[in-house]
Amino acid sequence: MIIAKSEFLLRTKLDPQTLEVWVHEEWLLPQDGEFTEADLSRVQLINDLQNVMGVNDEGVGVVLHLLDQLHGVRRAMANLMDEVRRREPH
Amino acid sequence: MKSPYEILGVAKTASADDVRKAYRGLAKKLHPDLNPGDKSAEAKFKDVSIAYDLLSDNAKRAKFDAGEIDAAGNETAAARERQYYRDHPQARQQQNAYASSAGFEDFAGDDLFSELFRKQAEKQRNAKGADAQYRLTVSFLDAVNGGLQRISLPGGGALDVNIPAGIQEGQTLRLKGKGNASQGTGGHGDALVQIAVAPHAFFTRVGDDIFVELPVTIKEAALGGPVKVPTSTGSVMLNIPKASNTGALLRLKGKGVAGKGDQFVKLKIVLPQMPDAALNDFLSDWSPDASYDPRKEMQL
Repeated sequence: MIIAKSEFLLRTKLDPQTLEVWVHEEWLLPQDGEFTEADLSRVQLINDLQNVMGVNDEGVGVVLHLLDQLHGVRRAMANLMDEVRRREPH
Repeated sequence: MKSPYEILGVAKTASADDVRKAYRGLAKKLHPDLNPGDKSAEAKFKDVSIAYDLLSDNAKRAKFDAGEIDAAGNETAAARERQYYRDHPQARQQQNAYASSAGFEDFAGDDLFSELFRKQAEKQRNAKGADAQYRLTVSFLDAVNGGLQRISLPGGGALDVNIPAGIQEGQTLRLKGKGNASQGTGGHGDALVQIAVAPHAFFTRVGDDIFVELPVTIKEAALGGPVKVPTSTGSVMLNIPKASNTGALLRLKGKGVAGKGDQFVKLKIVLPQMPDAALNDFLSDWSPDASYDPRKEMQL
């Protein structure tokens, strides 16, 4: 599951400078300099945002930030639903 | 099946630019990562991608218009299975580095959401501490007989481990409450101690049985008699029967691991290290019985 930086560059076909910028912008958050499968998918998403949807660099940051919040909300909602279901009399 | 023109919602006469714009518009709406909860988005986006793949390539578009290929006739890169970010469990976990719950900060006070987050955070903080992992190498005899061992912890302090008699290589002991502390009120996690057993100079172990090879003199082997034998719990006297050969296996009942198995003693005849004049004199004069041919089975 853990992907070293060199392999990550190979699989994403990113050049090292671009990766550096993306990490600096916190679009990607490697842990101890290593990446995961989820980061691979995140790179594809960023590529889609930029190339398919024409989102510019500023926009990519905004989209990712909102998306991460959306996942947070969805997780909270899932927890809330679990809690509600747990308390429901059977 | 819908035609790629229908899927993208463009006329057959649409320019490459129109096609691209239509695709871009639909991608913004249908991209699975922008619709984390919509299971149908993936299939729809796939159709759109296949349609765009076909219509954005002039050669393929011409072939399609000429009826040479159908809408799904050449699924290419766009159609390949792909894992979206939303599909990764990380996207949904709290431990995720990307996870953000900043979206709730305005739900201040006793609101349901902030309450839920407070409880969540509290639950996490008050969860039991993490288990700590250690490795401990014990001597052969400690593994057989049990005993108290002390592990010095990297952060100072020590951990006393009570080794149960008969523990085996690779077994893990769980010391309740000896792991890492909780951040809140959850109490300590457990310490998990994986045991390695060091080999012994002359004992070996198979299950609950202990094996030892016992060197004996030629006299003890031939005439028999009591000899001292080491066991895991101290030495005992063993009576060697007359005419016991090298390799003979004698059993000490109940002298195995933790009283469960047996100890097996394998005899090995050892000649004196230095030539023994008396023995040599005797052997020179000795004519063995004709039936004594240890190499009989080799038919030399």
